[in-house]
Amino acid sequence: MEGSSTMMARKTWELENNIITVDQPDSNDTIFYYDDTAQSRFQQEKPWANDPHYFKRVKISALALLKMVVHARSGGNIEIMGLMQGKTDGDAIIVMDAFALPVEGTETRVNAQADAYEYMVEYSQTNKLAGRLENVVGWYHSHPGYGCWLSGIDVSTQRLNQQYQEPFLAVVIDPTRTASAGKVEIGAFRTYSEGYKPPDEPISEYQTIPLNKIEDFGVHCKQYYSLDITYFKSSLDSHLLDLLWNKYWVNTLSSSPLLGSADYVAGQISDLAEKLEQAESHLNHSRFGGIVPSSLHRKKEDESQLTKITRDSSKITVEQVHGLMSQVIKDVLFNSVRQSNNKSPNELSDTEPMITS
Amino acid sequence: MARSSSSGLTFKLHPLVIVNVSDHYTRVKTQLNPPASVCASGHGSNNGEALIQQNPRVYGCVIGVQRGRTVEIFNSFELLYDPITQTLDRSFLEKKQELYKKVFPDFYILGWYSTGSDTDESDMHIHKALMDINESPVYVLLNPAINHAQKDLPVTIYESELHVIDGIPQLIFVHTSYTIETVEAERISVDHVAHLKPSDGGSAATQLAAHLTGIHSAIKMLNSRIRVLYQFLAAMQKGDIPCDNSLLRQVSSLLRRLPAMESERFQDNFLMEYNDKLLITYLAMITNCSSTMNEMVDKFNTAYDRNTRRGGRTAFM
Repeated sequence: MEGSSTMMARKTWELENNIITVDQPDSNDTIFYYDDTAQSRFQQEKPWANDPHYFKRVKISALALLKMVVHARSGGNIEIMGLMQGKTDGDAIIVMDAFALPVEGTETRVNAQADAYEYMVEYSQTNKLAGRLENVVGWYHSHPGYGCWLSGIDVSTQRLNQQYQEPFLAVVIDPTRTASAGKVEIGAFRTYSEGYKPPDEPISEYQTIPLNKIEDFGVHCKQYYSLDITYFKSSLDSHLLDLLWNKYWVNTLSSSPLLGSADYVAGQISDLAEKLEQAESHLNHSRFGGIVPSSLHRKKEDESQLTKITRDSSKITVEQVHGLMSQVIKDVLFNSVRQSNNKSPNELSDTEPMITS
Repeated sequence: MARSSSSGLTFKLHPLVIVNVSDHYTRVKTQLNPPASVCASGHGSNNGEALIQQNPRVYGCVIGVQRGRTVEIFNSFELLYDPITQTLDRSFLEKKQELYKKVFPDFYILGWYSTGSDTDESDMHIHKALMDINESPVYVLLNPAINHAQKDLPVTIYESELHVIDGIPQLIFVHTSYTIETVEAERISVDHVAHLKPSDGGSAATQLAAHLTGIHSAIKMLNSRIRVLYQFLAAMQKGDIPCDNSLLRQVSSLLRRLPAMESERFQDNFLMEYNDKLLITYLAMITNCSSTMNEMVDKFNTAYDRNTRRGGRTAFM
């Protein structure tokens, strides 16, 4: 089924993503083994207590990712929250599974209340009976539409968690951006303790933050760091997913990201417009007084503001164009065929020629 | 033992269920057969029973919704199985059900799942036990044997039907067909994990390539399926295969559905959307250009600045 071009493309992506595939199929599944003694020994040693930057990587299982994204999407515009179970492995935290918590989230905060704790305890107990031996190793919540980062409340919650429930990880998912962009928007974070100044912080991947949240983002963005996320799946999972494609291609072809995300895109564009106005007013001020050395600093800031806006607009445009391409392809595939006794082919004005094989 | 169902219900299965069951199975299997590094510490007794534990059977419950004649299976969770009494742990099931009701209030128990290659005698006991929760439970069977030659998903769904065999009314399992149903978010994450797409930005070119290649593979599948149909029809025309009128009717109705949308309003809406996207592209380009212009002007001003502190003469020529 796969042509050589797909194979090459896949190899290129795997290289870009630094995916090291393990050749023996059996050892792929060793990650699923829960070694109680090793885990409790690790808990005793607490190597993270001395190094705030100890954990650097996160490995998320296919199942956990699927569950988290589906749960996040089902919440719509309401933030949802849940817990993740897993274990640690050197400097990596491994997330094997995730489950949802029955917590009501408002737009500004998601807090775990008493019955959520009760739920968590009961769920963990039943899970241990059913053969899932891992412990809770983190929490996840969603930021529908405004990106993957930790808000002020999230930072304080995570700090608390990292004090009492180590090792603990915070994961944020944005289901709206996932659906709009066609790729999973997810981020994993750990906070620094209060007052700790991180050494030269590597620049994290840029993402657009809506105006009304940008303050919250800016105040706290230096208080946590993000971890690299990789994914893994068992051999049976890979096999099943490959076979799933046989039925799935229909959904891929018929997906219309444009239709679902019109709301979100409109919001993004209006947000961009506001940011542009702000940037414009700044630029006007600095321009008016002529070129004074003291205003050079502010100009640099505005410049980067304008470049940020440019990047945001490109991102939105690219997503839209992708969606448009899908629509055009579908139109050409299914609409350019006319019944032989109807209109002549001259009606097809500007659509591309039908893809012949 | 399994024939085709005649209940007329349509079944929709979400990929999450499949991944769930597979994960449950892998976990139990790996826990029973610890990897070599841990084996050395004294799990010798396992070797004797290794063969039996190579393919442990796992059991669990599937939940979802049933609307009219459509049964949609969304999620699943594990259950405890007691091999002595050959029943599922009832209190455990109820506890789990309560927990799941809190988070997913719409879902209720639709049936149960298990792994294996074919239905078993003991399965009927479990099935009957579940009948008091749901009067017609479904049984989802996943075959965990990895067989690279097979083209189809090794997941089968069974229903129970009352048939009269040798004069005795008995419940037996019958096959039902199902379709894979998904929501957009699920599809994206399954795609993500299945093909390990680049998760971070990448350049615009790689993103575009990723998107288009996804569509390309889907179109290739469509193409190969159409080819199969075409060859089938050609063979029928030549006379190699006996004419099957019902299939011919299906093919003809399929062809009559093309073109999918043929109306003035659709064309208008489509072109309007097309123009909107072009407008967005145009705006983005303008923003990009004005930003570049801004930078250029600033650099120009800095380079040819007449009011430098060095006494009013430009130093850069």
